[in-house]
Amino acid sequence: MNLTDLTAVVLDGFVLGLQFGILGVGLTLVYGLGGIVNLAHGQMAVLAAIIIARLIDGGTQTALALLIGVTAVGILGLVLDLTLMQPVYREPGEGRVLLGLLLMLGVGFIIDGILEWRYPIEALTLRVSGSPIRILDVPMRRGSIIASAAIIGIGAALALFFRYTTFGRATRSVIQDEQGARLCGVNPALVRTVVFALSGVLAGVVAVTRAMTTPVDSTAGVSLTVFALIVAVVGGLGSVSGAFLAGILLGIVNTVSAFYIGSYVSTIILLVVAAITIVVRPSGLLGVKS
Amino acid sequence: MTTTETGRSLDSRPSAHGADRWTRDFVPIVLVGLGLALVPLQFQASGSMMTVVTSGMLFAAYGIGFNIIFGSTGQLFLCTGALAGIGGFGSAILSERLDVPLILSIMIAGALAAIVGGLLSWIAVSRSLDTIFTGIVTLAFSLSYESFILGKGDLTGGENGLRVEQGRDTILDRQVAPYYVFLALVLLYLVMYRVIQRSHLGWAFRALRDDEVAAELAGVDVTRYRVYAGIIGSGMLGIAGAVFAHNRGFIGPTTYAFGNVDVRVLVMLAFGGIGSLLGPILGAVVFTTLDELLDGQAQLREVFYGVVTVALFLAFRRGMIPSLGDWWNRLRSSRRGRT
Repeated sequence: MNLTDLTAVVLDGFVLGLQFGILGVGLTLVYGLGGIVNLAHGQMAVLAAIIIARLIDGGTQTALALLIGVTAVGILGLVLDLTLMQPVYREPGEGRVLLGLLLMLGVGFIIDGILEWRYPIEALTLRVSGSPIRILDVPMRRGSIIASAAIIGIGAALALFFRYTTFGRATRSVIQDEQGARLCGVNPALVRTVVFALSGVLAGVVAVTRAMTTPVDSTAGVSLTVFALIVAVVGGLGSVSGAFLAGILLGIVNTVSAFYIGSYVSTIILLVVAAITIVVRPSGLLGVKS
Repeated sequence: MTTTETGRSLDSRPSAHGADRWTRDFVPIVLVGLGLALVPLQFQASGSMMTVVTSGMLFAAYGIGFNIIFGSTGQLFLCTGALAGIGGFGSAILSERLDVPLILSIMIAGALAAIVGGLLSWIAVSRSLDTIFTGIVTLAFSLSYESFILGKGDLTGGENGLRVEQGRDTILDRQVAPYYVFLALVLLYLVMYRVIQRSHLGWAFRALRDDEVAAELAGVDVTRYRVYAGIIGSGMLGIAGAVFAHNRGFIGPTTYAFGNVDVRVLVMLAFGGIGSLLGPILGAVVFTTLDELLDGQAQLREVFYGVVTVALFLAFRRGMIPSLGDWWNRLRSSRRGRT
């Protein structure tokens, strides 16, 4: 076992982990706020990817295409919250979780079905030109570095937003105690709507950053949703930093076991690590005990 | 009298007439059995249609097993397919490689699934995981199962799948007979479901699902009963999966995959009514019909599935059977009010 190999594998895992993390964040926020398990999160990301790919194929400038694609799924999140999710928010208790889950499952089917029907072989790949950059003596592709930097930047912005802005604090107060927040004059409905839209935007970011390292094709939705779910739960539902921590942990576990053991066992190891984390700490790595 | 099968209503009235109660409990099962037994009269000429309705019955059986775990005790097992797959691959490997007789191998594989399901249930309950967390742990188990099936190719056939020769030259290999085998299985499961519901197990299930803390305080051993539900339901799933393997003669990594089994079973059951006796049957019948109607537009099927799912859950929050039951009760009470 040589050290450079190990460093390279861990760095790769870190890059993958950041993507897992940003994937989990969008899901964790929506669950923390309204108790909705967004089973269409991955499909929303793929939708953004396909919109961007179509626009670029049609001759739109890349930057503009990215902006349109990410905004489009943000608006989709907004619309979903204002329409389909309204009866869910009125439902009390466990019924809310189940209804939200099933409705979003339906939405996931619809997005997935339309994409596979209209654009079965479409995929988004964003090529970043330039020679590899050496980090800790390991040559890293520019795409990976830019994607990771973007995710770290967005993660930091989110952290600052939730810590220092009034709206961010209001959001955290609703996650902790909706009744209490309401008594303090916070409007939970508004917070939920804005955060659902934000979650859509984050799904778009997932599509863009992932496309810089691997192609995002129209069938990737379900597996992205599943990973988002696992990352969000391992990190602790409702916790942004938890999602990133879980993402990085699982990313590194995945690449290290894939490199040293083999591909199919690595998936099993990844899932077992996730399951053990949940069983040992049901509230998640950084979750608050309810 | 509460004739709705929401399971939420504790039927506390002592029954005066044993026979009357017996009728009320089992007549629906007999009627459903008779109705479903007529289905092949319509389709027996077409091999492909018989395959469709047979798989409809398979999903009804899955639905009942899942209903015992999720509907009765609120444990969201997202590994219906994986447990059925343990039964299917288990029985196939036992009978093909080790020459275990057919019936015995189905039983052993079912027992294996029951043990695994019981273990999952025990982990979830002893760590007091709630619905979503149980869901994620079992989902992780499902995906590990799929990786295992793909990766352990020397045992399971990997991507190429596994040919199951045991079952040839039995009734499982005919055009119409397998439908009745699955129908018998479904009816057996329904009777078991009903018997459990009326036994002390059923009382405990209802108590712990309605209010876990109150049940625990009242002396119901919550852990034990949840694990019982996990074992019974998983055993049902395993046996159904095993019978299917010998009926189809070929199983592969997608036969019991999460996307093909779990999602469908969950949607079917939620449509029919979670925790209701006949919910799984209604769900299986409706969605099998829907699938067949959409057969021409195979590409659009998933979209339709999504639209139907969304529309149904907006309209019938608790599922069709409980909604129909409510409607029937209202009708009866309003008629009684008039006279």
